Amino acid sequence: MILVIIRTTIIYAVLLIVMRLMGKRQIGEMQPFELVITLLIAELACIPMADTSIPLLYGVVSVLAIFVLHELVTLLDLKVKPLKSLLSGKPSVVVNKNGIDDYQLKRNNLDVSDLIESLRTAGYFSLDCIDYALYESNGTFSALPKEDYEQMQTSLPLVIIDNGKFNGKNIAITGLEKQFFVDILRERGVKREKDVLVLTADGEGKMYLQVKGKKFHTFRVSYPDGKTW
Amino acid sequence: MLKSLIAISSVLALLAGAVIFEHFFVQTNFVHFHEELTALYEKVDADEANVEDARAVRNAWEARKEQLQVFLPHNDVARVDLHLSEAVRLIGEGERSLALAKLETLLNLAATFPQAYRATPANIF
Repeated sequence: MILVIIRTTIIYAVLLIVMRLMGKRQIGEMQPFELVITLLIAELACIPMADTSIPLLYGVVSVLAIFVLHELVTLLDLKVKPLKSLLSGKPSVVVNKNGIDDYQLKRNNLDVSDLIESLRTAGYFSLDCIDYALYESNGTFSALPKEDYEQMQTSLPLVIIDNGKFNGKNIAITGLEKQFFVDILRERGVKREKDVLVLTADGEGKMYLQVKGKKFHTFRVSYPDGKTW
Repeated sequence: MLKSLIAISSVLALLAGAVIFEHFFVQTNFVHFHEELTALYEKVDADEANVEDARAVRNAWEARKEQLQVFLPHNDVARVDLHLSEAVRLIGEGERSLALAKLETLLNLAATFPQAYRATPANIF
């Protein structure tokens, strides 16, 4: 029985560490230690139930051990502040008033596409319509929009350059040539596309450009032949 | 907070109690089983044992295993059953040397089983 308790504790601790190391993307609306419980408890309950050669007591003891561990971790999470960030992680500000924080994105194993997708899920279609965006410790996404953000979302922005690479599929949707965007970059003093963290273009000519390590800026252009989408 | 602390303390106390009880219960049962097997082994070695002696040891084990199965994996209990049944048959047929070999195996199992449930690094990992 003591073996079952010690083994359960070791597996719980290892899973908790691995979940924390994997980062927020693997979690999905649970704290890491809650996800570990979810992963373990079903298996612990099922194995002695299905395998009659294992005493049922082993399942009961391991579930009780998990209960004690969970209650202890919850108490530590609530009462000991330094341990809270260690156990549950901290929210990351991935978008601030300067634009996308590339460093924070990388720390959370995210890229610009993931960020834009999360923004869309939260109801924000344009990067310039939010002041701040946070990846919460439980893997959910929160954003603080600008006051008039609804008026800013009149057309769907497409990602033209994502982390230094042109998105050919989206360029095809715009019906424009790649050279058109290259020329815009040159006009804005950007020599290489590799230096661009993100460039989006919406159907009405509004562009969002952020060069790596610099503040974003938005501007309007006219598309050739009055194209829109 | 208080509710959590009470729940943690209660379950910890329950688990600690269960661990201590299991340790002594398994240990005591296997010590007695080992003593019974040793007595049978000595009788067989002296060519004084009969099938009734062997059945008595088996009956004592049968009574014990009902409770031991709550704590031990049933496959481990079945291994003892298997070797003990063979030993009883061999003693009944007068196969002294083969019976002694089986009893040796059982003595080894009775001596090592309680150790297999101790919290040592080898058992944990």
